[in-house]
Amino acid sequence: MQKFSFNRRLVIIIVCLIVSFALMTVSVAVRNKRSTPPLIQQFGNDIVGLTDRIVALPANGLSGSVSSISELLNTYQENQQLKKQVSELAQTKVRDQTLAKENKQLKQQVKLNDSLTDYSAISAAVITRTPSSWQNQVVINKGSSAGVVKNMPVMSGSGLVGRIAEVNKTNSKVELITDNNDSANRFAVQITTKSGKTVNGVLSGFNADSGQITMNNITTKAKISKGDKVVTSGLGGVTPKGLYVGQVAKASGDDYGLSTKLYITPATDLSDLNIVTVAVTKQ
Amino acid sequence: MYRLSKLRFGFPIGLLLMLFLDGSISQIFSAHLFRPSATMVSHLVVLWLIAAVLFEDQYDIPIARWAAAAGAIFDLYYTGIFGVYVFIFPLVVYLTRLLVAYISPNFLSGLLIYFIDITVVETLGYLASRMVHLTSMAGSTFLVTTLGPTLALNLALFVVLYFPIRWVYNWLK
Repeated sequence: MQKFSFNRRLVIIIVCLIVSFALMTVSVAVRNKRSTPPLIQQFGNDIVGLTDRIVALPANGLSGSVSSISELLNTYQENQQLKKQVSELAQTKVRDQTLAKENKQLKQQVKLNDSLTDYSAISAAVITRTPSSWQNQVVINKGSSAGVVKNMPVMSGSGLVGRIAEVNKTNSKVELITDNNDSANRFAVQITTKSGKTVNGVLSGFNADSGQITMNNITTKAKISKGDKVVTSGLGGVTPKGLYVGQVAKASGDDYGLSTKLYITPATDLSDLNIVTVAVTKQ
Repeated sequence: MYRLSKLRFGFPIGLLLMLFLDGSISQIFSAHLFRPSATMVSHLVVLWLIAAVLFEDQYDIPIARWAAAAGAIFDLYYTGIFGVYVFIFPLVVYLTRLLVAYISPNFLSGLLIYFIDITVVETLGYLASRMVHLTSMAGSTFLVTTLGPTLALNLALFVVLYFPIRWVYNWLK
């Protein structure tokens, strides 16, 4: 019996390994190709997501109240600084409104309904985060029933933070741009340089040590300098034009001296997300 | 025995609670836990499973089955890649059962067993992620930036939670 059971154990281990490989391959393929996961997985995730809220809501509320107390301490200083900014902002806002109105009228004249910059926003709360070091991924409380579609860009505060990786009925997973897998942070972006030239490109990765987004293979002659703003270009799909990504921190030649490599400081603090906005393009 | 005790409902509820707490802890303390120089992942689910093996006595809890269920939820809800933790969690339970047969469980030997278990969980998780191209981290970097800090965090949690969890299990029996 003992000899037999050893063989059987070996067989079980090998079968488990093979099944595990197969399941992983299938689920990665499904994740990359299909717009929504299989119905059973969606259903399961919805139920788990609802139960998770029982734990997540008190926990997040508790952390919210603790952080609001600590924020109270430096409110006075912040208030003084912000007052200055607000008076400047009022000016910009009025101008922005006038321009937006003018833009709308001009669009009507040329009979242009929706351009790349038009999008509507769905705001969502972060329920939980994947407890794994390999996936920087959060679960948000809006899903396909609220109009979320796979690959939509997600913003928080002033800038882009990631994209929708998986959509269930009532919750969805967001891959943050800090995630370094093959598909997480490939956004089409553009940079307007100081001389007014536009440089197009694709984000290529995230440098975890410096906390900066990298952008490779730029072959333009235009001079990109520190502080130039990087926004999404709206090319190639569901990302609208003009979402703020960050500022250029450093421009340097790549390893072979043929093209330029950029380091971009992200606009938002990516480690502390509570409320996010999903940008929905009108199509 | 098991069928008549409170463990029958208490054990799965605790398991789910720990599973969700892992996610909430990662979310709330994400600024402190997920730094590029040191990534700490909390594995309270594993702690709950291991505690069940250590404290079950003659109550035969079907731990491996529940571990597989917890792994399935973990894979589908948290990572989205099925087939990783659904096998790792039962494997760890099996490993602990083997070790407990040789070492009588107490606080210190429990710490040792938990050390081995977390190493197994993290290493297998790393290998799986390397295979499906979720990460391209080198093995040596993994040891320094992930395994070390994760072990530190989880052993600290073990030390803090060992007696409370034992009390919970005794109350459930």
